[in-house]
Amino acid sequence: MTDLTAAGRGVRRRGPRTRWGRLRERGYPYALLSPPALLVLGLIAYPVVLVVEMSLRDGRAMNISAIGQEPWSISNYVDVLTDGDTYHSLWITALYTVISTFLSLLIGLGTALLLSRDMPARRLLRTLILVPWAVPGVVASVVFLFMLDGSYGVVNWILRSVGLTEHGPQWYFDPSTALAAVIAPTVWKGFPFFTLILLAALQAIPDELYEAARVDGASAAARFRYITWPAIRGTTVLGIILTGLWTFHTFDLIYPLTGGGPDGATETWAIRIYTEAFSFFHPGSASALGILSVVLALVVVASVFPIMRKQFF
Amino acid sequence: MASTRAAAGSGRRRGITFVVTAVVAAIVIFPVYWMIVGALLPTSITLSTDPPLIPTHGLTLHAFVQDLTARPVAHWMLNSLIVTAAVSVISMVISLLAGYSLSRFSGVGPTSVGYTLLLARMLPGTMLSIPLFVVFGKLGLIDSLGSLILADITITVPFTTWMLKSFIDSVPRELEQAAMIDGTTRLGALVRVVMPLTLPGLGATAVYAAILSWSDLLFARTLITNPDGWTMPVGVTSFIGAHDIDWSGMLAAGTLSMIPMIVLFVLLEPMLVRGLTSGATKG
Repeated sequence: MTDLTAAGRGVRRRGPRTRWGRLRERGYPYALLSPPALLVLGLIAYPVVLVVEMSLRDGRAMNISAIGQEPWSISNYVDVLTDGDTYHSLWITALYTVISTFLSLLIGLGTALLLSRDMPARRLLRTLILVPWAVPGVVASVVFLFMLDGSYGVVNWILRSVGLTEHGPQWYFDPSTALAAVIAPTVWKGFPFFTLILLAALQAIPDELYEAARVDGASAAARFRYITWPAIRGTTVLGIILTGLWTFHTFDLIYPLTGGGPDGATETWAIRIYTEAFSFFHPGSASALGILSVVLALVVVASVFPIMRKQFF
Repeated sequence: MASTRAAAGSGRRRGITFVVTAVVAAIVIFPVYWMIVGALLPTSITLSTDPPLIPTHGLTLHAFVQDLTARPVAHWMLNSLIVTAAVSVISMVISLLAGYSLSRFSGVGPTSVGYTLLLARMLPGTMLSIPLFVVFGKLGLIDSLGSLILADITITVPFTTWMLKSFIDSVPRELEQAAMIDGTTRLGALVRVVMPLTLPGLGATAVYAAILSWSDLLFARTLITNPDGWTMPVGVTSFIGAHDIDWSGMLAAGTLSMIPMIVLFVLLEPMLVRGLTSGATKG
């Protein structure tokens, strides 16, 4: 260790001697950063500034490109926050995000625990279980649309065959089942991420810990509680945040299936932003709702993160 | 005696684990299987009162042939391929440069770029699509694949930059410094020393960017209005009509759009696993 630092110091002494050389060395961070910085400024920061501006322009404009000429106003925020549908949609968003993330975590943890055990053909089974992660969201959507077809879908056929129902629900057309029917493909596509990161965390636990616990007579539950869980809780928190954000923003697993319907039953904020802007041509209120959802995401992540760490982990 | 009993016990355990995992894997993979079955069988058979779970007859490639001859599926594929290739390459270059700066330099510049990239992940795509639509409209880029490429990069780079940073963190600085003593520039050291050592990270970046851009529906729907510029996801949803759905045609197109991603995933899975878990397992 000391050798390395000494070498490092030696290098610095022998670094560029000329002023041009020093300048160039100091300029490198900026030269290397300029392509990403341009991207960040042009494609992320500027659009964000623009969307904030659009949300603060009087909301009458129907033309997305002409909204910059409207007078400044907070009417969009007033409209959005006084609209009862906003809160109904928020409730749907909460249900969709929390249930999808929770089920993904549960299935992800279960499959990770299974796959961390010794078995024949483990590599193949792992690949099969992880495959949904790579399936495009649209494709997942159309498969579930096919499987959950109300009259002849294979799921209803199975439900009829085991005698659970006589007809089977009209999944995507019935407001009482539509949310569950969009959560299904979301969990299917979302859980392998948990499997992946939790499996890596599980495999990093030294076997000796389990052997020692077994020698001491610890039960399986105790081994999970005192060895496995402490080793994977950090990864779990990270996975919950990333999957939660991903679900909160989901478009392609809801819109092709229901478009937010029936009767708003699957209209999350992400879908509502899209339809407000591109179906009803209210760019102002869509932008306002977008800004509110960024604020909401920041507040939830910032407040939930420390609580989860302290209380449950 | 005791040891053989223990071995038999662990053999039985392995067997039970295998059976349970195999059942789980079968359930997980069933939608993929059922899509392929739906693409290979006429709709009258798959959507019937008694669909065959393991079809033995009536399999036909008709829907695939229809897709490729009567519908512009090949054209959508080509559009998707162009966008995906461009997004992957640009994401690799930009996140290598940004990830290197974040890993090696401190200061206002790298830090603020880093935080902006983290913050970008809080932005819903549906919101981002509104100003991007305006900006690309002003630039006259609407309906061009270029707009789609730029929009997809805003989603991939915030993730891949941090992923590559953690790969570059594990490359010892001394290696570059040695190369620089030997007379190469910092850029030379980056290209000749750091890049070869982060190949798995670059591979993970490419796969991640490819899967994301190949799957994008949102930006393709908002930024491309002309059917000539449709990509696979938009094309697949176009099979859903107002009154009925061309099921086998749609499932065949879905299969065609899924297969490249699964192949990519299976081939590059080890790299991807390391990439996605690089930041995760430290916590």
